[in-house]
Amino acid sequence: MPSGALLFQSIILGLLLGGLYALLAAGLTLYFGIMRVVMIAHSAFLILAAYLAWWSHTRLGVDPLLSMIVTVPLFFACGVLLQRVLLARLRPVTLTMMSVLLTFAIAVLIEGLLGYVFTGTQRRIQLGYGSASFGIFGARVAVVKLIAFGLAAVALLTLYLLMKKTTFGWALRATIQHRDAARLVGIETERVAGYGFGLGLATAAIGGTALALDTTIYPSLHWHWIGPLMAIIVVGGLGSVPGAAMAAMVLGMLQSLLQIPLGTTWAQTIFYLALFATLAFRPQGFFGGRLAQRF
Amino acid sequence: MTTRMKRIQWMTALGASLTLALTACGGGDDGGSAGADDPIVVGISLPLTGDFSEPGKGVQRGYEAWAKITNDKGGLLGRKVELKILDDQSNADRVVADYEQLIGKDNVDLVVGPFSTRLVVPAARVAEEYGMLFVEPAGAAKEVFEQGFKNLFYAAPAVANDHYNHLAEYILALPPDQRPKTAAYAAMDDPFAQGTAYGLKEKLEAGGVRTVVDEVYPPNTTDFGSIAAKIAASKADMVVGGSQYQDGVNLIVALQQLRYQPKLAAFSTAPTNPEFAAAIGNKTEGILSPTGYTQDAKYPSNTEFVEKYTAQFGSPPEEDEANAYTTGQVVAAAVTAVGCAEQGDCQKKLVEWVRTNTVETVVGPLSWDETGKPKGAHMIQQWVGGKIQIVLPADAKETDLVYPKPAW
Repeated sequence: MPSGALLFQSIILGLLLGGLYALLAAGLTLYFGIMRVVMIAHSAFLILAAYLAWWSHTRLGVDPLLSMIVTVPLFFACGVLLQRVLLARLRPVTLTMMSVLLTFAIAVLIEGLLGYVFTGTQRRIQLGYGSASFGIFGARVAVVKLIAFGLAAVALLTLYLLMKKTTFGWALRATIQHRDAARLVGIETERVAGYGFGLGLATAAIGGTALALDTTIYPSLHWHWIGPLMAIIVVGGLGSVPGAAMAAMVLGMLQSLLQIPLGTTWAQTIFYLALFATLAFRPQGFFGGRLAQRF
Repeated sequence: MTTRMKRIQWMTALGASLTLALTACGGGDDGGSAGADDPIVVGISLPLTGDFSEPGKGVQRGYEAWAKITNDKGGLLGRKVELKILDDQSNADRVVADYEQLIGKDNVDLVVGPFSTRLVVPAARVAEEYGMLFVEPAGAAKEVFEQGFKNLFYAAPAVANDHYNHLAEYILALPPDQRPKTAAYAAMDDPFAQGTAYGLKEKLEAGGVRTVVDEVYPPNTTDFGSIAAKIAASKADMVVGGSQYQDGVNLIVALQQLRYQPKLAAFSTAPTNPEFAAAIGNKTEGILSPTGYTQDAKYPSNTEFVEKYTAQFGSPPEEDEANAYTTGQVVAAAVTAVGCAEQGDCQKKLVEWVRTNTVETVVGPLSWDETGKPKGAHMIQQWVGGKIQIVLPADAKETDLVYPKPAW
């Protein structure tokens, strides 16, 4: 029987982990929602952002968080460009399947370039507060994990407000709900889709920076992430950002708690069990609501 | 998962293929019996791309340094040494095909081993089939020596399970009131990494140190918070990591974040990596690690190796490079003593010689048991005063072991 202290510590770790998962998965669910693109390269962009954060810290001496001033707009532009130049050219009938191949190629390309430019050596950002933590009712909260969680909260809240309160957000949601109808009421769905894709990649810039704060990075790391992230967005309901966030929190927490009795190997299978259960019993996702039912 | 550390190294691959193409054109045109002027061709398959490409290239540099230093001194038996290196892409099927080709088709004189247990075992099977001497630099897991190979020898001081032997002796010799009573183990699910931790676990359990945490994690684990939480909650007196590099670093930082302060912390591989201190923010004081090689070892051939290697490659050799060099030294000693180096009967004599003799190498004198397992143990290093120094065994130590370890 695990002690209360260990349970409480695991819950805190699970919460922090879930927050990070939510941030990392947000972009993925957006691409799905807007245009049914399976974006295999999302996690490769996360690692790219992590490398840029590491590079700006080591070479330029700036705090990794500051690298976002450059990477967020850069990734946004990159996303718009990617959608306009490559994905928009795919035929709608085979879009989903072809997008897998296309983005797979992009992922391999990014990994190759990272390996070429930064070598395969594993890197870690050396922060003065890297191992700092504070106590809360007997449990410890690592500062870097809290910063990553904070980043996730701010980014997801901004995304939520953007979707709910701005004209662009309405247009984006309309495009997600019914592309043809949106076009009929005068929304330029192509442009909106491009911006939506850019938005997704912008979250990858933030997510990658958050990831870099507390983990060792290497070019092929993205393959370890894409599986759990895909599971999260399916469980959350494709296209639903709040759904992805909920699923991420639940799965992060479950992983952390199952670790106590089952160990690491089995705790990780929770993602695939959840994925299986979702596809078998509720293909539209457990947290997605109406939006996701289109898929 | 299998794509871990997979990098697309076009340049290396291209360079390697070019080199191969050139050596293929240059050598091997005689094909017939070895004359006194023919080079001694050493066939090697290495993981130059794929999962093990990073250490694989280290091993390649070690072999190249050995060939150069040997040739600069006039070669072996008065003949030049020539390496024929193939890339197996870290793939066990490819490694088999490579050695089949090297021995059967290219008719090389000698073969030496690739990197990692997973490739050494299939490669050794081919060498065994052809009756070739097979000295290898990197199959340290105990599985290698349970296959019944007659021709295999591991060119390093100890196998994975014996890495921590000196530390086990030290701990069990401590007075009972100081000796750690409980220990937490976390090991990567990998024959080598797990072997190191479990070698120590067995000995400490037999000596009465209770195991309170025993975690095995898959190689693709990215989050170590939960494992660290378990270890911290157990308040174990000591923590042992059976780690490679990134997992070791991530676990140590996660433990530090939870303010877990063990009396003793030992991790394999990671702490001896040149990037280790920077990676964990210099909070290294007191961390222990087994190592099979140090540039500072006073063996005569090591002084020469470090100096000439540094001149050749611009930086001093690490453990992978040293293991490959050691492999070369063992083979060279056998060839020199026996006076031949071709396939056939000569190989039998070479195997017999290695089995019954001790070879002076850059990691000290090496000798082997029936299974090809080296009869030795690793040195134990500790981070003391901001640098990693040998603390065990007593006759090799640079400084005293610090116990209990300072807070990190």
